[in-house]
Amino acid sequence: MDEGYANLPTSHLLGSVPAVTQDDRKPSPPTAQDAAATSRLQEFPPAPGGNGGGYRPPGGPADGDVENQADWKGYFNVASYAPYFNVDTDVVVDRLISSIYPMDGFYRKIDANPDMYGPLWITTTLVFMLAAFGNYATYLMQNKNDLDIWNFDVGYFSWAASVMYGYAVIVPGMFFFLFQYFGSRQSLVRFWCMWGYSLFVFIPGSVLLLIPVEFLRWVIIALAGGASSWFIALNLKECTEGADLMVLMASASVLQFALALFIKVFFFA
Amino acid sequence: MGPTWTRSHCPLIHLAGAPSPASRAPRRGRVVSPTRASIPVSSSPAPAPVPTKPPLPAASIPISVSVSPVPASVSVPIGANGFGPPPNTLTEPVWDTVKRDLARIVSNLKLVVFPNPYREDPGKALRDWDLWGPFFFIVFLGLTLSWSASVKKSEVFAVAFAVLAAGAIILTLNVLLLGGHIIFFQSLSLLGYCLFPLDVGALVCMLKDNVILKIVVVTITLAWSSWAAYPFMSAAVNPRRKALALYPVFLMYISVGFLIIAID
Repeated sequence: MDEGYANLPTSHLLGSVPAVTQDDRKPSPPTAQDAAATSRLQEFPPAPGGNGGGYRPPGGPADGDVENQADWKGYFNVASYAPYFNVDTDVVVDRLISSIYPMDGFYRKIDANPDMYGPLWITTTLVFMLAAFGNYATYLMQNKNDLDIWNFDVGYFSWAASVMYGYAVIVPGMFFFLFQYFGSRQSLVRFWCMWGYSLFVFIPGSVLLLIPVEFLRWVIIALAGGASSWFIALNLKECTEGADLMVLMASASVLQFALALFIKVFFFA
Repeated sequence: MGPTWTRSHCPLIHLAGAPSPASRAPRRGRVVSPTRASIPVSSSPAPAPVPTKPPLPAASIPISVSVSPVPASVSVPIGANGFGPPPNTLTEPVWDTVKRDLARIVSNLKLVVFPNPYREDPGKALRDWDLWGPFFFIVFLGLTLSWSASVKKSEVFAVAFAVLAAGAIILTLNVLLLGGHIIFFQSLSLLGYCLFPLDVGALVCMLKDNVILKIVVVTITLAWSSWAAYPFMSAAVNPRRKALALYPVFLMYISVGFLIIAID
């Protein structure tokens, strides 16, 4: 394959999407790099300086106060978000499976390397599934009742996108601030990662919700909502050990169950 | 004795009188510049025909100079090899520009969507990328879906266009974030060209409104689109992350396929 892409001299161009430089393809040394990586991932957003092989803003001072001056440039640079996508296929599959099984090892799995790939694509898949299967489910229900007025409702796409993206972004942020207010320092990225993976159980759930039996639908959504809420509660308890904030954990579970009910009522009526 | 004296003592007259071989040869050929420039056919009565297919970016480009027979100060179009000013495409007829762009779209389409020997080398597949082709295909798909819909036509177009356009950008960013090696606009161009089979499928589904036929047609064209996009995306990332890069591509095409089936 043509390896010329790594040598494209775009890294000096401000604002361009940089081609990945040679440094990124060296296998990272195990221990030293991991410690640095973990400490860098504790804070969100990432500081631009010091990223291995990433873009360095031109003309910035090489000492400690580079963060204050060049901090805003890290937001608009693709390479500064790359550490959050540093996962392989088997890692992602492992995290997905452990989000359904009621074991309590999830938070320990993401502690060292929280990824944003999972939440991003789980919510996107859920948007499409809710819109597609929601339409199909209403079609089946109307077929069963012998009504002939079904029309494809493209508004489901807009609603699904607003609800899912809004929930996955705003709710963890809100809980992050609430936890900060009550004195327990958490990591926003890990909250986003956790809430994103908690939505995975709704994907097989929405497939099962196609069954046009009303009672069965309620049972399915109750099970899915319950599993998701329990996942959230369990992992919140694990990551906030020592801080006795039962109110926040209970409200997080209730919110998750409310989302499940909303999905059933709005999309699978 | 006369002619011999003329020739030996006045060689320049001989050269100026007869057309030299150097200026006779270019009348058979034409300026064929590397990739994007073309020959202005403004006012010089150039004898050779315009090449109808875009030149491949190879080394076998016949570069010659076409000089008009009138020895006046006419603009000398010279190929972009450093021997003069680059050819001026502003003065060419609009039809030439459109024809050139259409030729490029067709050649890119053939490289990407149809089987050809270059498919294994993704870098070569769309070296001459452009964004006109993807733009036409996305708008055409949106329009077809909008025509097929019976209610909320403008919202259907908006959803289709937003999903495809934003989807192409997000997919490219996804590959870059996973540590892959692609060029941003080349990837956008490729994802747009791979929509061509779905365009054909949408057109067929618009003309014939039968659910079974729609499912069959959409399945076939979806498989075709995915087959077209697969080598490029899978070669761009680390093999351990190949599925992570390919899954969103399939997701986008499947959702568009669903839109084609479901809209009636």
